[in-house]
Amino acid sequence: MKKIVEIALGIVTSVGGFLEIGSITTAAQAGADFSLQLIWAIVLGGLCIIFLVEQAGRFAAVSGRTIPDAIRERFGFNYFTMLYLTLVIVSLLVLAAEIGGVCIALELATGIGLQWWALPATFVIWLVIWKGTFGAIEKGVSMLGLVTICFVVGAFLIHPPWNQVLHGAVPSLPKHDSVHYWFIAVSILGASISPYLFFFYSSGALEDEWRETHVGINRVIATGGMSFGSLISIAVLILAAMIFAPKGIKIEHYSQLPDLLVPVFGHKGFWLLVASLGIACMGAAMEITLQIAYLTAQGFGWNWSENQRPLDEARFSFVYTIVLLLAALVVLTGVDPLSVTIVSMVLTAATLPVSIVPFLFLMNDERYVRSYRNGWLSNAVVIFVIALAFVLAVVSVPLQIFGGS
Amino acid sequence: MDLVRDCLDKQLEDRDHRRMGRVDGLILECEDGQPPRVAYVEVGVKTLLDRLSCRLGDAAARLLTKLDIDTEPYRIPWGKLHVGLNTVRADVEAEKTPALEWEIWLRKKVIGRIPGA
Repeated sequence: MKKIVEIALGIVTSVGGFLEIGSITTAAQAGADFSLQLIWAIVLGGLCIIFLVEQAGRFAAVSGRTIPDAIRERFGFNYFTMLYLTLVIVSLLVLAAEIGGVCIALELATGIGLQWWALPATFVIWLVIWKGTFGAIEKGVSMLGLVTICFVVGAFLIHPPWNQVLHGAVPSLPKHDSVHYWFIAVSILGASISPYLFFFYSSGALEDEWRETHVGINRVIATGGMSFGSLISIAVLILAAMIFAPKGIKIEHYSQLPDLLVPVFGHKGFWLLVASLGIACMGAAMEITLQIAYLTAQGFGWNWSENQRPLDEARFSFVYTIVLLLAALVVLTGVDPLSVTIVSMVLTAATLPVSIVPFLFLMNDERYVRSYRNGWLSNAVVIFVIALAFVLAVVSVPLQIFGGS
Repeated sequence: MDLVRDCLDKQLEDRDHRRMGRVDGLILECEDGQPPRVAYVEVGVKTLLDRLSCRLGDAAARLLTKLDIDTEPYRIPWGKLHVGLNTVRADVEAEKTPALEWEIWLRKKVIGRIPGA
């Protein structure tokens, strides 16, 4: 019974933590611009992240270390520096986009401009991290994040053509705007295969004191959580495909987002969207902030744990405080959150190889994972993801330039 | 022991298992007619930056010295270390070593002054 509760909580946490501004925006744009044709990109990204998250959790449970910790040890300081700088810069942009998402929700709710909300929203995020424990943040925010299931309910209520939904799950060539089609596909993959997701998951496994006995639970949580999370993204795409695409409406401004749910739920849909956006982005902002602090502390060998008092790990607390301030400054500059989101998703895709290549070595190193090494299927998937990551790294920036408008 | 594989970049802990950094560098001593032996491990920003580029390390050291910040790496004699499977344990008290200088400074001057710390 205890295990079932643990699995259920883990899945809820993964689902609640999956959706954020990047996945909402890219899925909505895909639906509006290409109807149901790009569902395959979410399915592909979901499959990749299931394997990576499962491996990150298994690694932490068996070795008692996080992935960044082992990367510094196994690959040395020079590789770690490259990974660190890349991840911090990209994560800061993603964090700014998430804080922007919280501000957008507050602007939609109150009518007060989003820039006015940058500092108050950042302060609340900081305060929860400052005062909260890992469990409280992980489970509290994720439980609230379950409101995003309204997208799935909406997708069912709108009665999409299910045969076309299934067709969309199979990769197909674009019928128009090829460059833009591939740009959106890359953005979706960047939003799905986020390094912060699997690095955070491995830190979380240690915060929750996972041991070797959690390997099985980890597999169920990673598969269940990421699958349901991807399902919500698909639901957003279906809603956009059914509501925006037939009218030829492009998503060019965040104020259009409530139109995803209003046609299905009426005025309640507006508030459901505001709550979903605000809570999902706030949860993601907390995870990314903590992930940058974890990465720094683990890479440099400092004390780290969200369960300790800030005073007992001053450098860890200092890093997340500074990181939040920097991200808030980006929002305060007045840059369009939608643009920051898209650019950050593309940059995530462009820098994926640096984060994913170490998996292949670490997950086959007996010194870390002993008899829990990757099997042929897991290795085949990691090699596929690495190849995909290299392709994304090469094509993402040119696609952003030529197909991002 | 393979020094690079088994010691360099490993988590460094004090005698009470408190994390105090990583093994940022290794100092070998060479005496005439004798094989080289490990004398110390080093912990510090200068050691780390030297690994990226000696020029970068020197430039950072000059800048930090101008700001009156000590850039001398902290050295722990090899005899005080126990190299384990997951960590390198030093027979020292972390709080009393320069390895936690920044941690203590931040604790006193910044984090400790914020309510609720």
